[in-house]
Formats: sequence, C-alpha cells, structure tokens
Amino acid sequence: MSLLSIHAQPSRTTTLGLSWLLFAAGIGSYFFVAIARHRDNPDDRVMPTIAQMVQGFKDAAMKPAEEDEENAPHSMLWKDSVATGRRFLISVALLFPAVLIGLHMAMFPYIGAFFLRFFQFFDKIVALSLLPIIFIAFGIDELSKIMLIVIGVAPTIILDTFNLSKSVPRETIVKAFTLGAGDFGIAYRVVFKQIFPRVLNSIRLNLKAVMLFLFAGEMIASTDGLAYRIALLRRHMGMDTIIPYVLWVALLLFLVDLGMNLLNRKLHPWFQET
Amino acid sequence: MNIRIQNVSVEYQRPILSDIDLDIEAGEFVSIVGQTGCGKSTLLRLILGEQTPTRGRVFVGGKERTQPDPTCGYVPQKYSLFPDRTVLGNVTFGLKGRDARREALRMLRRTGLQEADAGKYPHQLSGGMQQRVAIAQALVMNPPVLLMDEAFSALDPGTRAGMQNLIKELWRESGTTIVFVTHNTREAVYLGTRVIALANRSIAMDVSAATEEELEHVFL
Repeated sequence: MSLLSIHAQPSRTTTLGLSWLLFAAGIGSYFFVAIARHRDNPDDRVMPTIAQMVQGFKDAAMKPAEEDEENAPHSMLWKDSVATGRRFLISVALLFPAVLIGLHMAMFPYIGAFFLRFFQFFDKIVALSLLPIIFIAFGIDELSKIMLIVIGVAPTIILDTFNLSKSVPRETIVKAFTLGAGDFGIAYRVVFKQIFPRVLNSIRLNLKAVMLFLFAGEMIASTDGLAYRIALLRRHMGMDTIIPYVLWVALLLFLVDLGMNLLNRKLHPWFQET
Repeated sequence: MNIRIQNVSVEYQRPILSDIDLDIEAGEFVSIVGQTGCGKSTLLRLILGEQTPTRGRVFVGGKERTQPDPTCGYVPQKYSLFPDRTVLGNVTFGLKGRDARREALRMLRRTGLQEADAGKYPHQLSGGMQQRVAIAQALVMNPPVLLMDEAFSALDPGTRAGMQNLIKELWRESGTTIVFVTHNTREAVYLGTRVIALANRSIAMDVSAATEEELEHVFL
C-alpha cells in the first residue's frame, strides 16, 4: 500500500518512530552544526554545546540571579518561574469572568445585544498595538502586564463561550423548561455544565496566547520573570541559558496543558470530544 | 387537560400554517401526521409555548401559552437528555424532595430500564434506551400534556414497535393527553385515538379512527 494512501495503517512502532523523527532530526542537526562551529571557534556563543547548556541551566537552577545578593534564598530560575507563574495564574483566573460574560450573552438576548458587537470589534484589535496605551494608562508595573493578557485573550474566550453556549441544542433548553427549570437554572445547570469542558479546552488552546502577551509585557517592562531573563540574556548573547529557558517555558506550558486536560477528563467523565 | 388552538396562522418568511382551528380533549392520544415541512412540528411548538403564532392563540387548560413550562412534557427526536448527567440525574432533574430518587427509579423500571442503568451516561446507552429515559424524564413530572416530536423516528423497527407499545401502556395508566407528531402513517394510526393529517399548511383530515390507506390518500 502507498505511503500516501488514506487507508494506510502504520504499525504502532512505525507511528511511534515517526512521531519522534522530527525531534531527533532537529536535535541531531543542531548538535552537528554546533560541534562544527565549536571546532572552528571554541568561543562560539551562538550555538552552545550540550555541556554548556547543562552548565547554564544548572547555574540558573542553583545560583541566585546577578541582580540579587550572593546569599539570596532562591535561584534565578525559581525566582523567574514564580514571577511568571504568578502573573500567568492571575491572568488565567481573570479569564473565568469572561466565560460568564459569554454565557450570559448567549442566554439572554438583551445582554447579547448589548455586548456582542463590542466584543466582536474588540477581538479584532491587536492587543500588542495597545501596549503603549496600556503602559500609559496602567503604568509599567504588574497591572499593565495582566491587563495586556486580559485584553488580548478575554474577547476570544467571550466569543468562544458565546458560540459554544449557542450550540447547545434548543431541544435541551426547552426540555429543561418543561422540567421546571428557570432562566438562570438553565443557564447554569444546563448550558454552563454542558459547555464547561469545551470552555476549558478553549482556554487550553489560548494558553500560548496568554504566554505570548505575558512575555511581551515582561520583555518590555519587568524586573523579573522568564521573558525578562531571556531578554536580559540576549544582550550578553547568553544562549547557553536562553535555550534551556525556552525549553523550560515549553515544558511548563506543556505540563499546565496536560494538567488541565487531566482535570477536565476527571471532572467530566461524560465528555466525549472527537 | 384540554388544548385549544384558535385560528392560528404561522408565517416565517413563507406561510407555514394557515387558520388552524383545533380542540383536543383531556386524555386524548392525538397523532399529527404529515409530510416533511407541512408544519406539524411547528404546531407542536405552538402548544409547547416555544413558538408564538403570527395570528391566533393557543391555550392549554384554558391558559394561553407564552413559553414552555411543566404543564407540557416534551420528548423530541434527539437532544432530549442532558449529556452531563447520569440516567438517574436526568430523571431526577425536575424533581424535588426526599422521594425524588425513589420516584425516578420507579419510573425507570416502568419504562423498561434497570437500576443498573441509572448510573450510566446518555452516550453509554442505545438510541432506544435513551428515548426510554427521555420518556421517564418527562412522565416522572406527571405533566397533564405530553408532546412527542418524531420521538421514535431514529429507532430501528423492532425498538420502535416496543416503544410504541410502551407509550400506549403509559398513556392508558396515566391518562395524560398526548400529542404525537410523526411522518409515519402506520405509527399515527396505531398510536392515536384520533389522527390529524396536515397538508398544504392546514388540517386535511381529522378523524377518530383512520386507516393507513385513508391517510395515504390524503397525501397522494
């Protein structure tokens, strides 16, 4: 059977091998080029070797940041991860009111009429273009970074929740009325409970956008955080720490996504999404 | 509880129902039959209170319908159950008080389901079992009127025959007024003590005992 046949059935081993092939090729290519560069120039800083990156990560994980005292209680990596994590969690928590707004817009026509056009317009505004306005309006401390994320992601979550709520079959809502449920009972007991697993998935899909806006804020105006550190290290060409930091961020985001997925499946055993 | 449909017309970009005048007595089992797009589901939604007529009025038990409420139970063809609730959760949805669970289990047994099914989610049930739950969910509320919209259309012939017998039995026991919409003439004749055929946006036939041939004649 042809490799490009729709009916092709690769074995489990082949599937596993194929799924890791690009990772192996990428890592292999990197180190091949890195070793070649270091052979030509032992002081090359653009493509650090694995030993240099391990050392860079170890230093970040064990030693305090340069701006801190020698005997500071936490390492640079810990300090940055906590700072970014705190902003990230506050931002994600602030997305939940957006879910409620979207739900009410879908359920109650007057609320929908009031908000829908505004959020449809707002969703088209590129949040990063608002960055100067946000910094002027909210200053350059924590609030502005969180506002950037909320402004960037909340309209998408609102509209997504709106569409998800609208997609709940009308029959289900009518049935709930005939079983004695009231308007708010239907909104929360019927529609919200049915859409919530999909809303969580929508938030999962937007985690990268949350991080993108968070990184933009941290890179421009911050004194700690993972993105701040990456921006700072860029000035010194500290690729031996930047690359482990990028991988660390990806790992953290992967773990958050995995955790949310597991939580979703645990909380909603009935939820079957193809 | 009786149903009164008074000179009702519905237009939605085009005329759907014209001058429908109909009285349904309490305890009747009325089959409404007609081809796709003839307005039979619209008529059901008017009784349900889900849709308002362009002209005319609809009363159930002397009260004008403005929105769905527990006066009328409802069993649609699909999407009747709440997917996030177990079978028991679905049947107890509208019940309050200590006896809710016991009453729900009694109704589940009455509709041919077992206690072991109570903890299952709708997606774990066959189409026939889902409709049994939907009927139990509606009847456990003791609605004076039960509206069924193509409730057995998606079922295989064997399951469908079983469900038809079940709903007939339940109707005899409860005395609920049932309005059953179907496009299947055989089903309409078998179930209804009265059969109303809709054609060309109005009532083409309204008889207490019709044969399948008579109904086929209306549509040909």
